[in-house]
Amino acid sequence: MNAINVDSMAAERQAFADLARDISLKKLVEHREENDRYPFGPIFEDAIRDAGIVGFYGVNLPEEQGGVGMNAGMVSVILEKISEVDASLAGVIFSNAAALEIINAAMASTGDTGIYSEIKTLGTAPIAFPMYASPDEISPAMLSKDESRIFYATIRNCALGNIADYAVVPIRRKENQPYSYYLVDLKDKGVTISRPIVSLGLHGCPMVDITIDKVPSRVIGKSGEGKKYFSAMSDRMAVCAAAMSLGIMRGSFQDAMQYTSDRYQGGRQIIDWGQVRMMLANMAIEMKIAESCVAMACQQMDCCVCGWEKTAQAAAIHIGEMATRSCTDGVQLFGGNGYMKDYPQEKRMRDARHAQSLLGMVPLRKIQYISRIIEECE
Amino acid sequence: MKPWKMKRTEKDALMSHGPRMEEVYNSIEIHHRITRGVHRDVETAIAVARKFNNEVLRPMYLERDLKHMEDHEFLSRDIIKKAGEWRFFTLFVPKLFGGQNLHFMALYPFIEEISSVCSGLGHLIFVHYLGAATVFPTMNMRVLQTIMRDVARSERRGEPHLIDLTITEPDAGSDAQEPLLINRGRMTSTMEKVKGGYILNSRKVFISNSRLSYWHLIHSWEDKNDRASSLTQFVIPNGTKGLSFGACEKKMGTLGSTADEVICEDVFVPDRWVSLRALDPFFKNSKKGSKWAVHSVMDFVVSASRAGVGAIGTGIARGAYEIAMDYARRKRVDGELLVNHQWAQIILTDMFRNVCMTRNVYMESVYADLLAGVFKVLYKKPIHYYMKFMPKWFFTLILPLLKSRLVTYIFRKYYYDWYTNEERNITSGWASFAKYTCSDFGLVNANMALDLMGADGLRHDAGAEKCFRDVKLQQIYESTNQVNQMNAFFCMVGNRHPEVEYFT
Repeated sequence: MNAINVDSMAAERQAFADLARDISLKKLVEHREENDRYPFGPIFEDAIRDAGIVGFYGVNLPEEQGGVGMNAGMVSVILEKISEVDASLAGVIFSNAAALEIINAAMASTGDTGIYSEIKTLGTAPIAFPMYASPDEISPAMLSKDESRIFYATIRNCALGNIADYAVVPIRRKENQPYSYYLVDLKDKGVTISRPIVSLGLHGCPMVDITIDKVPSRVIGKSGEGKKYFSAMSDRMAVCAAAMSLGIMRGSFQDAMQYTSDRYQGGRQIIDWGQVRMMLANMAIEMKIAESCVAMACQQMDCCVCGWEKTAQAAAIHIGEMATRSCTDGVQLFGGNGYMKDYPQEKRMRDARHAQSLLGMVPLRKIQYISRIIEECE
Repeated sequence: MKPWKMKRTEKDALMSHGPRMEEVYNSIEIHHRITRGVHRDVETAIAVARKFNNEVLRPMYLERDLKHMEDHEFLSRDIIKKAGEWRFFTLFVPKLFGGQNLHFMALYPFIEEISSVCSGLGHLIFVHYLGAATVFPTMNMRVLQTIMRDVARSERRGEPHLIDLTITEPDAGSDAQEPLLINRGRMTSTMEKVKGGYILNSRKVFISNSRLSYWHLIHSWEDKNDRASSLTQFVIPNGTKGLSFGACEKKMGTLGSTADEVICEDVFVPDRWVSLRALDPFFKNSKKGSKWAVHSVMDFVVSASRAGVGAIGTGIARGAYEIAMDYARRKRVDGELLVNHQWAQIILTDMFRNVCMTRNVYMESVYADLLAGVFKVLYKKPIHYYMKFMPKWFFTLILPLLKSRLVTYIFRKYYYDWYTNEERNITSGWASFAKYTCSDFGLVNANMALDLMGADGLRHDAGAEKCFRDVKLQQIYESTNQVNQMNAFFCMVGNRHPEVEYFT
């Protein structure tokens, strides 16, 4: 059982999975090492553009807005497949889908669809979004009284800020006050974008720091409701984060199987050493558990099973940890070669660890998770 | 009846069942032998490393790491020069060989200090000493004197000649280092005896610092059907005809030191540059034989080096802790300083605990090495004081004597014929414990730092992600942690049980 065949949408899911696999094989495999050199080499513009052409940036965009009208579960299928080869492109799609989820949540609460029409590249180019930060970490900003203009704000670690035309960013006036999400035109002259930040992983999905100085802006949904929108987005995108981690794990495991069959040490194929088999077994077991968790989370989300949000969050946190552990072993099984950039394992280890930070600081997410359960009990 | 009163024989019998004192209480065993001078040396080494970190390393290590990322072939020659100005490449070399004479025990805390800021430089310095520690157990005093005195001279000149160790081959990683696996390995290097020396052909990979080094210690095997008995160690200086460097590896981390391919194509090595030949009549005709000599020399080397990997792993674990602590003291989460969240305090405490624990483990290995390993002779009190207090001119005076064959013969007798299985098991076993424990917990700490720092931890300019990339190497080189686990089983766990078989 996996995320692809758990429900009546199996055919559509399979089609998206096949498409994602095709894109990965045609656009990503060959230039994986080269693409990973960013910002010391060029960004993989072709792959980012092609993902838009095939509609990956509109999967969770409502049909009436020109999108596919699917939910985050369908996005997760794409992310899982792409992450097997190169999670950076999955990061690009994730950022866009998370931004759209914020807008979708706002639209569901206010019914105002005007925000979609303000994004001229909607569904065809990715939207920037600070996908690693918990809103609890937002720095206070200065806004005009009617919130139509941001006088001064800094957004740290915003994914795709140097590639996208628009960003969805959280802003609050003062520490501990409610925050709102804003749509910012990144081409505005008041927006200053830092050089791409050299980061641990997902090099093809760069982060930047953004400084906003007297820029017209538009609040997304109701003012002060950011937490609600973030929570809705976070629950849905947790499935996608889990799927990304799963994809990276699977890629690492498959390559480890191949390598350990090909490599000889101690007079035999290393796959024939008991210790190596034990490591492979642990990887296989963790991958199988991750597959089941992602499938279950997707199914519960699709069927709106009571408490699906908790399933999704638990899956994201747990699979994120498993993926880091598993991909670390994936490097170990390659020995010295695993540490080198000529082989994909070291990138997967970095990407898995990087993806673990999606949707916020891990311990904070755990604290929020238990807080939610305590609130429900009370 | 006083059951706690017992005769010596009864006590000895009880102590021989279960772990013996000298197996597991190295710190107690060494306690009464540590002189005040050694304590001062350790303190000095730590202080010097901290000063260097503050004045040289901290202001530039991240920028330098970026430079290496941008250009993997970039070489840190200026850092080597700077480290040479601080005499880091002879700091722990005895006066006898022209060094600064800090006790060798102090090397390990020194490496931890340097690695807590930049494990690349920690690795670079340590690999140089590993090279020295590889010549040392050959007990070839002539070669040792020549190399170490050249290192000291070149360091004074401002162009330190480093030493590297060249073992790994494309199809033989752990096999080439592990005495129990060596006969099953797919090594391809060849050596041929010719008049006045040997012709060496080999291709070695993942060799740390080889482009930056002047002296290359290259291992080859005389009898390809019995490599376990026929190890030969060649010393090849830069500029030797036929010696070249191939690809510079593109590594994930520890970028301050390089990993290169070293190629020998019909390199002629004169007999005088053969530092060890296991099929030499001395070893071959000795009571314990050539195989014992190969096993011992490999264990001497890896026992010293794996404790060093432990020190680097601990240094990285500490670096991760210090970065996380600094961050937690500045970062506000939910309106409160991160360091004041109880869950964060627990994470930081665990990180600190890991550093203390791993330090104890690698120091236990160092103690074992000093009591029963390659440097045991330097730890004998008369020799220690003699080395400490005799003036430099005295050692220059007795140099010709040290270079004589008689001295080499005596030392080899002491180090090989009188070396026991128990000594070897204790040093080698503890070294493996140190290597895989410290590297594993180094990774745990790097992960915890990234957990605590969230998105900021992913940024290169924060330093934590570098710890994560760097520490992974510590689990791989000097034989993978898995091979070290097997070695520890061989030396410390299964060795009491005759029915146990290894690497089956």
